[in-house]
Amino acid sequence: MIGTVVPVMRRAARPAATFAIAVASLVSMPAALAEDATAWINRAASAAHQLNYSGTIVYQHGGHVETSRLVHAYDLSGEFEKLNNLDGPAREIIRSAGEVRCYYPDAKVVRIEPRTFRNAFPSLSPQQQKSLLEYYDFRKAESGRVAGIEAQAYVFEPRDGLRYGHKFWADPSTGLLLKARMVNESSDVVEQFAFTDIAIGGRIDRATLRPTWSNVPSDWQVHQGGPGDLETKETGWTVAKLPAGFTKMVEGFRTLRGKRAPVAHLVYSDGLVAVSVFVEAMAGAPHPTGAVQQGGTNIFMRQLDDHLVTVLGEAPVVAIRQIANSVAHR
Amino acid sequence: MVMREEISRLVDGELDDEQFDTACGELKQRDGMATWVCYHMISETLREGAPGVAPGLSQKLLDRLDAEPTIVAPRPRFRVERPMTYAWAAAATLAAVTLTGWVAFSVVEPSGAVALAKAREAAQVRAAQFRPAVVPQDYLLAHQEYSPTTPLQGLGPTFRTISVEGDNR
Repeated sequence: MIGTVVPVMRRAARPAATFAIAVASLVSMPAALAEDATAWINRAASAAHQLNYSGTIVYQHGGHVETSRLVHAYDLSGEFEKLNNLDGPAREIIRSAGEVRCYYPDAKVVRIEPRTFRNAFPSLSPQQQKSLLEYYDFRKAESGRVAGIEAQAYVFEPRDGLRYGHKFWADPSTGLLLKARMVNESSDVVEQFAFTDIAIGGRIDRATLRPTWSNVPSDWQVHQGGPGDLETKETGWTVAKLPAGFTKMVEGFRTLRGKRAPVAHLVYSDGLVAVSVFVEAMAGAPHPTGAVQQGGTNIFMRQLDDHLVTVLGEAPVVAIRQIANSVAHR
Repeated sequence: MVMREEISRLVDGELDDEQFDTACGELKQRDGMATWVCYHMISETLREGAPGVAPGLSQKLLDRLDAEPTIVAPRPRFRVERPMTYAWAAAATLAAVTLTGWVAFSVVEPSGAVALAKAREAAQVRAAQFRPAVVPQDYLLAHQEYSPTTPLQGLGPTFRTISVEGDNR
């Protein structure tokens, strides 16, 4: 129970409603809360995979806003998805069994990647469920309309500065996420996805899922590839100062385009987000090092002797940098 | 002025608690404060708009410096137009190599404003040079397979990827 008491003490100055929720959470066991959080995550995840839906999604990050049209279908033969952006240079992404095709009509390029829908993230282990509730305050928040649907909001509030806050709005009847927001410690939005209109359920006409360029024009270039599969084995690398709550999920080598040697890839997670560590042998000239942010993903690169260390994930740059700076030979 | 690695790492929020004391000790030295201001200025210019300061850092600093005599230094807050999509929040040490020599002296002179403008200009040039020539798209894609929120957000992570894919496909 101690783990639950602490945040209540720390948040004593919050409005009465929040305080009441926090006190209410005292009466349920942390284990039950962990089950609530993971059950909720699992429901949203399976809804995203197993439902038919189509709608318009607005993606915001930094000062940028991008709008896309999404169609998702699921049947006995698997999942199909089509995404078209509605502003800027046209892009089309088609996902079907076993591959992802990205069309870039302005450049006359189609990129084909052999990837499945399968997300390699396994179900949360008991340890991860525990750390999820130890490092985030999970609570049901207000309800409000999103894309015309009365949605229920859920909050994962971080208990330290090494992770972002997450707020999700779900359709109560199906569990499908209608809106997802990541905020930094100043409550500024780092990244947000939101449907502005959506139709859930019903039949989806296969024709709407076909690529606009079913037959790739002869003057287009076809790029095959993408990140190869992970060959799990010990890499000889480790992170000496892992931020609290993160545990290693997987470790191995990948063969990537344009890399002469396999790249070491280690993945760490706190149950809600993951951070990847890549270590590759440096080829030739020194690489620029430092931090860069792409949407909600922070990336930090540094040189370690004759290796280049790249760390990236949906965590604040402080956590990413701490991990990058403590990568070492095991 | 010499490069003060501890101060630079302090600006970057890389110090753990024991190293923190050493860095604060350096700040007390004669030109320690100038170094601090200089590094912050470079750092802020480079990563304008990107979150990067360690949580609670300023409060810790204020607490430690509370007992110190007042040092008047210009507060290097200025808005910078962001000419690029992704500002490299390069470590202060990188830019400091080329900038420290003259900026550090300039900021404590009366003509601070001119120095600030020059520093901003120089830092922008440096930042542009640091723009990643190769955005590790395959790294992003490989990472997304493991992100727990990937299945939650459907194609969300794909947005992240295509939205940064310019000419680099």
